[in-house]
Amino acid sequence: MAITEVQGRPLLLGTKKARVRTWEPGPLLLLAPALASIGAVSVYPVLLGLWLSLRDTTLASPTDSFIGFGNYRQLLADGQFWNAWTHTIEFTAASTLLETALGLMMALVLSESFRGRGIVRAAMLVPWAIPTVVTSKMFGWLFDGQNGVVNYLLRGMGLIQHNVDWYGSTSSALWTIVVADVWKTTPFMALLLLAGLQTIPHSLTEASIIDGANPWQQFWHVRLPLLAPTLLIAAMFRALDAFRIFDLVYVLTGGGPADSTEVLSTMTYKNLFSALQFGYGSALSTMMFITEAGIAVIFGAILLRKLREVGQ
Amino acid sequence: MQELEPPERKTQQNCEAACLPGKASVSPASSLGGNHGTPGMPRRDFLKRAGLTLAGVTAASSLLPVRRAWAAGGNPVEITFASAKFYGKQTIAEVVEAYNGAQSKVHVTYKELPPPSSSTEVHQGLVQQLARRNGTPDVFTQDIIWVAEFAAAKWALPLDEYFGREVMKDYFPGIVQGCTWQGKLTALPWFVDSGMLYYRKDLLEGLGAKAPETWDELIDSSKKLMSAGKAKFGFLWQGKQAEVLVCDLVSFIGSNGGSILQPDGTTVTIADEPAIEAVQMMHDFIRKHQITPEDVLSWDEEPSRRPFTSGEAAFLRNWSYVWKVAQTPADSSVVDKVGVSPLPHFPSKQSAACLGGYQYGINASTRNREAAVDFVRWMSSPETQLRFATQLGLCPTRAAVFEQPQIAQEQPFMQPLKSVFIGAIPRPVTPKYPQVTLILQSEVSRALATGNVKAALQSAKEKIQNVVKA
Repeated sequence: MAITEVQGRPLLLGTKKARVRTWEPGPLLLLAPALASIGAVSVYPVLLGLWLSLRDTTLASPTDSFIGFGNYRQLLADGQFWNAWTHTIEFTAASTLLETALGLMMALVLSESFRGRGIVRAAMLVPWAIPTVVTSKMFGWLFDGQNGVVNYLLRGMGLIQHNVDWYGSTSSALWTIVVADVWKTTPFMALLLLAGLQTIPHSLTEASIIDGANPWQQFWHVRLPLLAPTLLIAAMFRALDAFRIFDLVYVLTGGGPADSTEVLSTMTYKNLFSALQFGYGSALSTMMFITEAGIAVIFGAILLRKLREVGQ
Repeated sequence: MQELEPPERKTQQNCEAACLPGKASVSPASSLGGNHGTPGMPRRDFLKRAGLTLAGVTAASSLLPVRRAWAAGGNPVEITFASAKFYGKQTIAEVVEAYNGAQSKVHVTYKELPPPSSSTEVHQGLVQQLARRNGTPDVFTQDIIWVAEFAAAKWALPLDEYFGREVMKDYFPGIVQGCTWQGKLTALPWFVDSGMLYYRKDLLEGLGAKAPETWDELIDSSKKLMSAGKAKFGFLWQGKQAEVLVCDLVSFIGSNGGSILQPDGTTVTIADEPAIEAVQMMHDFIRKHQITPEDVLSWDEEPSRRPFTSGEAAFLRNWSYVWKVAQTPADSSVVDKVGVSPLPHFPSKQSAACLGGYQYGINASTRNREAAVDFVRWMSSPETQLRFATQLGLCPTRAAVFEQPQIAQEQPFMQPLKSVFIGAIPRPVTPKYPQVTLILQSEVSRALATGNVKAALQSAKEKIQNVVKA
């Protein structure tokens, strides 16, 4: 009886019976708590943020008026905004590319079977598990301009003559932060890609070996194409996450020197929470949201295309 | 805003062990809260004990008002006091309890805010409460850079009718200036901190020189000591794009008779000749004279303090907390070799130090004005300032308190600093300070990194003008 009903259901969808709508408050009532809480903690703040971004308001002054897109006009003309925007995009691109490439290499190694693989897989995750503030402090010491290990090693190898002031120089500060981020987040990418590699059926790689493919060909023509969707999803996650970079910058440089490491999150934080400029700060975070949405759309489009290719 | 971070960090480290027992005995309520975490206590026992304690507290608190009412012939006025968290041998809560015990007309409830190292959160917490205008907290403490902001928003009660000129002349003039907005006194001084010059007495004696009074003397001594191999660095300060950069900036510009913003709050003078010369000198310390390592561009207080207390530098600009660190053998290799003096100045100009510290304010919406005034008068009195100095290590704002023998006994570092505090000057006084400081940090950092001083300061001037005129 039960079986026939379940099997019969798809058939019923097209019939008149399915179109009859009866008002049943039960399900809605059950959903109400979830809807209310999502509305309260997610929808309402987002909408309020959008509303604030159209107003001229700071917490510490009595002015509060609707100014339409005034904040956005000011923002688009603000050199500091574009400066931070560029740094954020540079940081996102560099860290995502490096982390994906290095993570893929790590994943390929870890998918082979060798002695102690379990331990290596667990150990690999340690950098990712360390709180970012701790990572920041650690890299602060490593790249210290006077007593840092990095300077010591580079000097010992004869690559540099004098100590480099990594965080105090406008040309190197941002890239030092990229290095810290790559160290921290590559294991996460490796883990995602490792999971992807393990879904590729062994029969396919075995078949390619029988066909005489060398490991290089095997990688390029069998594993990589099949890994592409996972790769793209992982890279998208990483890019969206990297775009919100805050803690490393906040702890290591505070945006300096000369705004050379200022990113959108730190700039938004300064405007919203130091200067309490709620209107302008909200406009900033809306622009962040728009840029992030753009990144997600680009990845989504590529991903859809790839999925279709693989599907065929 | 961040200038108080290191002292707090330091005090916390030093006092953690010493403060804990004191903390537990602050009030019955807090010790009750502390019991929740008692490890290894069976649940039933815990509940029983908690119940007993609760009963005890209820009994005690129901008795107290009766006693007070009997003493004063009426219920004491209840007011609240919110302050950032400071502690040394005692806590603020203990000082407040002392007030509650000393009289029976007013009862103060203390609300603790985060420590000054989280100054952004303290600011936010205060602004959120004050913006409601519902009278809580009745009394609060504020970083000196927020005084104008709170006064302009009409959150802080003008205090002139309660504290006249006669009373205020006992305080350091710079701090009174910092507590005043548009001619009205809106804050009452609590404690003071300021930037100062630390120098190596032993190295200067070797040169036959004394503490430098002008920048040229400092540059000269630094170069000599560096070329003789006595010091790795000449002069250390803080160039990180952060609040401390503005503090350094104020004292460098002030020592050339210049300023950032005129007292009228709208005339921007950051691109005038004295300011340009001063910022150029900051850049020259690094590039031209090479007595300051390029690293200061990413250093705030602690990174700049470490090389000095490990004996690598001849001069350091920093806050009062360094004195204590420098005299602690575990942290310092220069114990008894350090001297402190006002920062040097340009030829025929005055030395200037950047003023810091937290000050009292009364909520303009308070319904208990007289009680609040009575409380802050007691908190700012010479006796209480002495207590804050000896027990919490906070420097008095009344010059006379420095002469008390207890100060020399308990906090020997304070007396030599008195001359520094007398000449301390506030940062730009404007309600838009939070925005102004962000502009200054960004542009001055640019000036130091690129060497294009004039252009950066001109750009800072234009941006600040837009902010203060809006």
